[in-house]
Amino acid sequence: MTHDDSPFLEARGLVKSFGSERVLRGVDFRIRPGERLVLLGPSGCGKTTLLNLIAGMLEADAGELLCEGSRIDAPAHGIHQPMRRRGFAMVFQDFALWPHMTVAENVAFGLKMQGLSRSERSERVRQVLTMVQMEGFADRSPSRLSGGQQQRVSIARALAVRPRLLLLDEPLSALDARLREDLKGELATLLRQSGVTSVYVTHDQSEAFTLASRIALMHEGRIEQIGTPEEVYANPASTFAATFLGVSNLLPYSRENGHFLLGDRESLTPVVLNGVGDTAPADGRLMVRREAVTIHEGRDAPSDSIVLSGICRRKDFLGDRHEAFVEVEGGVTLRGFAAPGIVEGTRVQVRFPPDAVRFLTH
Amino acid sequence: MTGRAGTRIPLTICVGLLGIAVAYPLGILFLQSVFPEILGGSFEGFMDAYRRIGETPEMVRLIRNSLAWAGATTGVAWIFGIPCGYLLARTDLPGKLWARLSLLVPIMTPPYIAALSYILLMQSGGFGDTLTGGLPEGLRAWFFSFWGVTLVMALSSFGYVALAVEATLSEIPRRFEDAARLLGASWHQTLRRILLPLLLPAILNSGLLVFLEALSNFGVPAVLGSRSNLPLLPAEIFYLVTSWPVDLALATSLSSLLCLFALVSLYGSRWLADAFGGGAYRPGAMSVQRLGPLWTLAGWGFIGGLFVLSSGLPYAAMILTSLAGSWGEGWPELTMAHYATLFEPGSRGFEAILTSLWLSVAAASVCVVAGSYIAYVNIRSTGWLQSALEGLATLPRVIPKIVIAVALILAWNAPWVPIDLYNTAFMLLLAYVVVYITDTLNYSNATLWGMSEHLESAAEILGAGRFTVFTRIVLPRLRPALLAAWLTTFMVCMRELVASLMLMPPGMDTTATYIFSQFEQGDISLAMAMATVTIVISTVVLALFTLRRSHGARAGARALGEVEG
Ligand SMILES: Nc1ncnc2c1ncn2[C@@H]1O[C@H](COP(=O)(O)OP(=O)(O)OP(=O)(O)O)[C@@H](O)[C@H]1O
Ligand SMILES: [Mg+2]
Repeated sequence: MTHDDSPFLEARGLVKSFGSERVLRGVDFRIRPGERLVLLGPSGCGKTTLLNLIAGMLEADAGELLCEGSRIDAPAHGIHQPMRRRGFAMVFQDFALWPHMTVAENVAFGLKMQGLSRSERSERVRQVLTMVQMEGFADRSPSRLSGGQQQRVSIARALAVRPRLLLLDEPLSALDARLREDLKGELATLLRQSGVTSVYVTHDQSEAFTLASRIALMHEGRIEQIGTPEEVYANPASTFAATFLGVSNLLPYSRENGHFLLGDRESLTPVVLNGVGDTAPADGRLMVRREAVTIHEGRDAPSDSIVLSGICRRKDFLGDRHEAFVEVEGGVTLRGFAAPGIVEGTRVQVRFPPDAVRFLTH
Repeated sequence: MTGRAGTRIPLTICVGLLGIAVAYPLGILFLQSVFPEILGGSFEGFMDAYRRIGETPEMVRLIRNSLAWAGATTGVAWIFGIPCGYLLARTDLPGKLWARLSLLVPIMTPPYIAALSYILLMQSGGFGDTLTGGLPEGLRAWFFSFWGVTLVMALSSFGYVALAVEATLSEIPRRFEDAARLLGASWHQTLRRILLPLLLPAILNSGLLVFLEALSNFGVPAVLGSRSNLPLLPAEIFYLVTSWPVDLALATSLSSLLCLFALVSLYGSRWLADAFGGGAYRPGAMSVQRLGPLWTLAGWGFIGGLFVLSSGLPYAAMILTSLAGSWGEGWPELTMAHYATLFEPGSRGFEAILTSLWLSVAAASVCVVAGSYIAYVNIRSTGWLQSALEGLATLPRVIPKIVIAVALILAWNAPWVPIDLYNTAFMLLLAYVVVYITDTLNYSNATLWGMSEHLESAAEILGAGRFTVFTRIVLPRLRPALLAAWLTTFMVCMRELVASLMLMPPGMDTTATYIFSQFEQGDISLAMAMATVTIVISTVVLALFTLRRSHGARAGARALGEVEG
């Protein structure tokens, strides 16, 4: 009997090295059916390697990978299910459309492998090409398509076989910025509507936020944090998570008899955090997102805000508003959004609500 | 692309040269085939020769034979070459360098020498009998038949297929295969539906090379064909021109047909490649298949077996014969006497070596000088004259050598030619240049296409004239290509058989004609000694140049490092 929350795919302690370089250092995660997991992390952290392991192009050195409860990769048991038996499909960064086949032939290939009849095939091809808005291009050769169109075909080819799991390795990174933005939205809709379970690799956080039902944040061969985009954004588990996603203020602090002392030099700024932080560790880093911080000229602050005073050192125009950098006592600089009328070099107020504060120990 | 100003005169000169060297003889040949009496100044007998071909059953059979034999040779070369290419490109076969070398040996060996060696091996009382104590007669009968001759030709040309397949397979990105495997394709489905179609252009191109080579090869059919009762076109044309009664009308019309077949197969294979294969893609990382010990053994068994057949056995027969003192039962006594005869100053053999050497050096040098300039002028001009030049330059690439030889005889023997070039060694030099200028053009083009015109403009802006630009900017960049072209041309001229046989003035010999005539006259040991000498000379020249080139490459790399550092 299966429950709704029984995992579709589960990784336990996956390890992979290339020569002496340990690329995956024990990866664990579970993906529930229908979930869209985005593997997000900086370049070289092992995302592609993990994806290729899931696809079956690589074999793990240790750990195991289970799909619907049965092992598909488990070196300790000598199990490695070949990729063609896994029923997964993949969208490659460089499209990998076969140049000697037309668009329709490319899309029909997997269906042919599944043994579908000719009429079923052409029906399905038509259907998925319509889904990716490429119905008019069925008889074109891929080399006569733009990059964005090629990637649509590549997505159609993967979706056509109704895969158990769809793998996407930075599918948008070979496209230019504008196209990437358009296709990102379409892809999000497509994935949601088709309900296919997917693993999507990217190093672009906006793609991750748009596409993910859950984000797995990868760092140096491990999954650092996993959760819904909102969770990961609101409650980063580490300094890495806080800096990789969004723009944050990270202030070293220590606690002395109920006071928080910010900064790591001799002169520290004592702050009273109204009630929050009673359970915070004795020292570490205090994190406030930039958008929670506002910079004001005025002297009278609302009583529920934490208020620091300092000198505005820089003000940048961001397009829709201004960002200001304020140096408060103790040599700590905070960044936040500036209220109108802030002038560089003048004394200003920094405000943020207490519930925007997070405490990080590593 | 814009043409460079003031290329008119050089362009005209180039077109004129190629016109006289190539277009004029081929034009005469074609006219003669259509109007058999044209050299006598009459237009009578229009199409007579073609009619005769159509009405003579032997002629029709001859043509069918030739096409079937060339096709069979191509097929066998594919069967040998494609697996070799796969093993080299896509598996972890150990010792690939040796495998590659083993492919080069048969390519470097003149096919007629391989054929002669095989006769020595397979004929009754030959080495095969000595080694095994009597070859089965069935095997001997099989060898001296259609398929035996096919095997010899395929063995000498499957290396082209293997190298072309290897080069293409190493460029097909593994993503293409991964994508197919992931969608459920098995290994052999991936091979059939993804790899083979992408490989098709390489297979067809190399196959075309083998097909054209077989269709127009004279040596192998001449020595093996007559012994195997397998008359083939080039040999037939040769005998029609050289032995009494001479029938020029028939020879030229058969030649024209031969050209037609060559052109049809050229365009046919292009069409096939476009229709069923290919498509452009960027080269990418490829996958390498791990061979188990069993498959490694099988792979080496295949490549090694082919090496033994294509090189080992013929070379052994060649060298042993060249050293054999007397003929009789069992192993002959070994002696250097035949080599001594060859190198005796003033002897026929020695003269032949000297003639071949100077002719080859001269032909290679003329080819390199003229070819590089023609290629340069061609690539930097536009307009109808350029199209004409381009067209003329591709002619020697497809026209069989024997046809060019026949055409040159007609053209320079014609009553209106004032100079007596025919019956001098310069006739042969001209033939070598016309036949082999293709190599220089190919090598130069490969470099020139990748060379930005800005390099030349930069020099011109600084005041350099056109000639200075060519000698100071273009030539230095072309140097490695021209070196390779010179070397190739030298080696193929050293072994050129059919043009030499047809155009050599009486009383003169080249190494190839010497080998051929000594073999026909029964002095087999001398023939094989000369064959060995020819191959040794080619190999030594190749080795010297390769050493120099790797030296040059290092110096070049150093210079580049200085510029960047
Ligand atoms: N086949 C290989 N052989 C050796 N090292 C490899 C191989 N593939 C990946 N690596 C190494 O493993 C590390 C992780 O590679 P991987 O491709 O998984 O990173 P990634 O997170 O996908 O990065 P990117 O965002 O740049 O694509 C890199 O340091 C890379 O050099
Ligand atoms: Mg990657």
